[in-house]
Amino acid sequence: MDTVNFIIDNTILNPVVQRWMSVLFTIMMLSFLYRDNPLYKLGENTFLGISLGFGWVWSWNRIIVPYLFVPLKDSYLDFQPYDLTLVLWVIIGSTMFFRFSRNKGWIANYWFAFVFAYVAGYSIPIQVQALFIQGANMMKPLFEYPTFFEISKWFVIIFGTFAGLMYFFFSKPHRGLLGKTARIGILILMINFGASFGATVMGRIALFIGRAQVLADNIVPSIVITLSITVYLFIYFKYIKKEPGLDDELMH
Amino acid sequence: MEKFIYTLKKLDKRWIYLLIFLSCIIPFWFPDMFPQEFSTSKETQRVYDIINGLNEGDAIFIDWAFDPTLQAELLPMAEQTIKQALDKKIRVFIYYPLLTGISLGENLLENIKKEPGYENIENGVDYIHLGYLPIGVDMVLFSMYSDFKATFGKEGKIFEGIKTFGDIKYMVSYAGSAHPEIYISLQPRFGFKMGAGVTAVVGPDMVPYLQTGQLDGMLFGLKGAAEYENLRIKSGAEKKYNQKANAGMASLNLSHIIMFLFIGLGNLVYFYERKYKKSI
Repeated sequence: MDTVNFIIDNTILNPVVQRWMSVLFTIMMLSFLYRDNPLYKLGENTFLGISLGFGWVWSWNRIIVPYLFVPLKDSYLDFQPYDLTLVLWVIIGSTMFFRFSRNKGWIANYWFAFVFAYVAGYSIPIQVQALFIQGANMMKPLFEYPTFFEISKWFVIIFGTFAGLMYFFFSKPHRGLLGKTARIGILILMINFGASFGATVMGRIALFIGRAQVLADNIVPSIVITLSITVYLFIYFKYIKKEPGLDDELMH
Repeated sequence: MEKFIYTLKKLDKRWIYLLIFLSCIIPFWFPDMFPQEFSTSKETQRVYDIINGLNEGDAIFIDWAFDPTLQAELLPMAEQTIKQALDKKIRVFIYYPLLTGISLGENLLENIKKEPGYENIENGVDYIHLGYLPIGVDMVLFSMYSDFKATFGKEGKIFEGIKTFGDIKYMVSYAGSAHPEIYISLQPRFGFKMGAGVTAVVGPDMVPYLQTGQLDGMLFGLKGAAEYENLRIKSGAEKKYNQKANAGMASLNLSHIIMFLFIGLGNLVYFYERKYKKSI
């Protein structure tokens, strides 16, 4: 066991190896931007495998053992009537496995029925309550802070919502007043989509900046690995894979 | 002109990828070439002011609903709020609704402990990792209002005087999804004050809650994190340890300039073709 720990400490847990691995996998994933290639596939599958493995181990250690096995063991040593509820939930939860069977799959429906009933009964009153408060609070600034900005904002919310809805009103032809309102509605929708899209792009760039920072902080590994992967890609596409695949066609 | 338009139209996408890549990485190598000056939004200021207004011994609750995939935007935010609270001797309770976020939070606190001024902070006294519970966040909230300490089964001096969630002065939810809405929907029932730190993707969905007052303040994407860092630096925090988000702002700006440029060029090609009614 000591040998295993020694190997792990000096490989996976070694900070230098970790830095190189971080840079290596970042550039492997980025190599897709040039063309789909085996290094990208390796990086992608490694990520998925590690994520699933990590999730399983953490779920086992942090959920199943402390909230199921330990209480079950304790109940065996010192049984209390309320321990039965634990067994009940294990049985009900285990019915999910019947989804694998074509004939007995219906058994899992009881669990789903319970979950849906719980969510509906619990969520609906709370959501309605929150929506009413949101609607009421939205109107407040008009009376509390009657500045030009707040008043105009209020009108944009009310009229914008109405105009947006009118764009999807197809019972009458979009001509005259309805047509103009629908036109304003689509403009407001486009402004909304543009703002959301802009924020999404900013978020995605921010995620990439996280990786760029890793590359910038580790200049030597970045240069060495980038050059190595470039040489590999050159050899791969020049001599090994000559015919473009579906992904390659989409890239151009 | 036609030759230029033709070149633009046939430009390989990979040149754009390369330019975006360079625009993100160059500012890290030459930070002095890209000075950063930007204003602080009132939403960020509000979160800062609320935590700043708390007294020594008060408690805040951090809802850590993100994992390493979103750390570029959300980790600097969480780091700054936690440090601000620790500076003011405010107790910090960190709850993890996502199992995969726990190690990120634990690492952050271990790294904070290595910085000057935070060497003596202790788990269970100044802050505590409340961990993950395999039940819905709404159920956790109900349980916290029944018995805060028993909900998580943890022990420590930090729990002194905290019987229910009502004894927590402020909470901030960090998420890259609509997760804070779970708390918002339960606000009318319990009446707690909360702010949010969200990714830029989720930000627009949370803005209505600011207007209605359901959220007291909000940190929006990387810029929100950078604003918060600046607020702390202005109040005396050491710049060296508090500029993770600021370091990325120059990259964010430069990459957006490149994108604007190519959006402009794309429109130029489109309108040129439309004007002369021909496809190049």
